[in-house]
Amino acid sequence: MLQWSERSPQHWHEFVNHEVCVTAQDQQRFEGRVFTVDPVSASVVLVSIQENERPSVRVILGHAVTDVQILRRGTEETERRMKSVFLPDQTQILSAEELKSRRESLRLWLEKNRVPVTEDGEVLRVANALTISAPYGSGDCSCANEIILARIQSLVESSPGAEQTSLSENTPLSLQST
Amino acid sequence: MKTPVSVLRLPRGPDPNSRGFDPNSPRFIALCPTTVSTSSSGSVDEEEQRLRSELRERFLRTLLLMTDKQVQFDMFEKVRVRARFGASDIDVLNFQVSDLETPLGVQKEALLRCHDVISCSFEP
Repeated sequence: MLQWSERSPQHWHEFVNHEVCVTAQDQQRFEGRVFTVDPVSASVVLVSIQENERPSVRVILGHAVTDVQILRRGTEETERRMKSVFLPDQTQILSAEELKSRRESLRLWLEKNRVPVTEDGEVLRVANALTISAPYGSGDCSCANEIILARIQSLVESSPGAEQTSLSENTPLSLQST
Repeated sequence: MKTPVSVLRLPRGPDPNSRGFDPNSPRFIALCPTTVSTSSSGSVDEEEQRLRSELRERFLRTLLLMTDKQVQFDMFEKVRVRARFGASDIDVLNFQVSDLETPLGVQKEALLRCHDVISCSFEP
C-alpha cells in the first residue's frame, strides 16, 4: 500500500472538491472540502464547509497524512463557492457587457501605447506571444516570455480603467527589441 | 568608541557556483526524493502534467492567500503556535514567519521546518 505522498497526481486529483476526513499523525482528524493537493509536498488544503460561518482554510502537510477518506462528493456549486474564497472577488460578478467594454478599453489603451494587439473572441492577443483573458486585469495576462509579461502587466496596471485612480503617462513599448 | 563585536567564524556556506536548487545535494535527496517522480512510463504523460500544474497553481494560490495572515501551526507533541505567515520555499520544506508566539516569548522572525509541522490553519 503506497503512502499518501507517493501517490500520483491523478490519484490526488480524485479528491478535489469532495468532503473528506484526513487522518494525520498524532491521531488527529480533520474534515473539510479539498481545494487542492500540492504535487510537490502532497499537502492537502481543506476548506471548512459550514455555511453561515466565516470560511477557514487548513493545510495539512503531506508527510503527516496517513489516510484520506471521502465523506461526501461535491458539486459544481460547491466548487464555485470554494473557488470564490481563493480567487479575487471581481472575477465572479462582471456581466458580458461590462467584460466587453473592459476588453475594448484595454485594447484601445494598448493600441495607444503602440502595442500590437488583436481581439480573438473573448481574449486579447498581444504580438502573438501574450494572451489577456477576462476580466482583463494585470493578473490575467499569460505569456511564455517573462520580459514581455512584465512589461505588458505594468502597462495594464497603469491603464486608465475602472480600477485606476491616477493616470500615468507611459512611453510607448517596443516589443521588437529584447 | 564602542567595542566591536568579535567576528564569529561561521561554518562553510553552500557551494557558490551552484544555484542552490541542486538535485544531487544531500539535503534535497534526504528530504524530497519524490518531488519529481513521474509515472513509471518513460514518456511524460500530458494529462499527468496538466493535473500537476492545476494542483500546484491552486496550492500557490493558497500560499498567496495565507501571506500576512495570522496562522495557527499544529506541530508534533501537541505543540501549537501562532505566527504571521511570510513565505514558503519552493519544495515546502521551510516556512518563514514573523511574530512567532512561543512560551519563551514572541520571536520577531523565525523559520519553521515543515517536517515539524502537521497542519496549519487560518481564516482568509
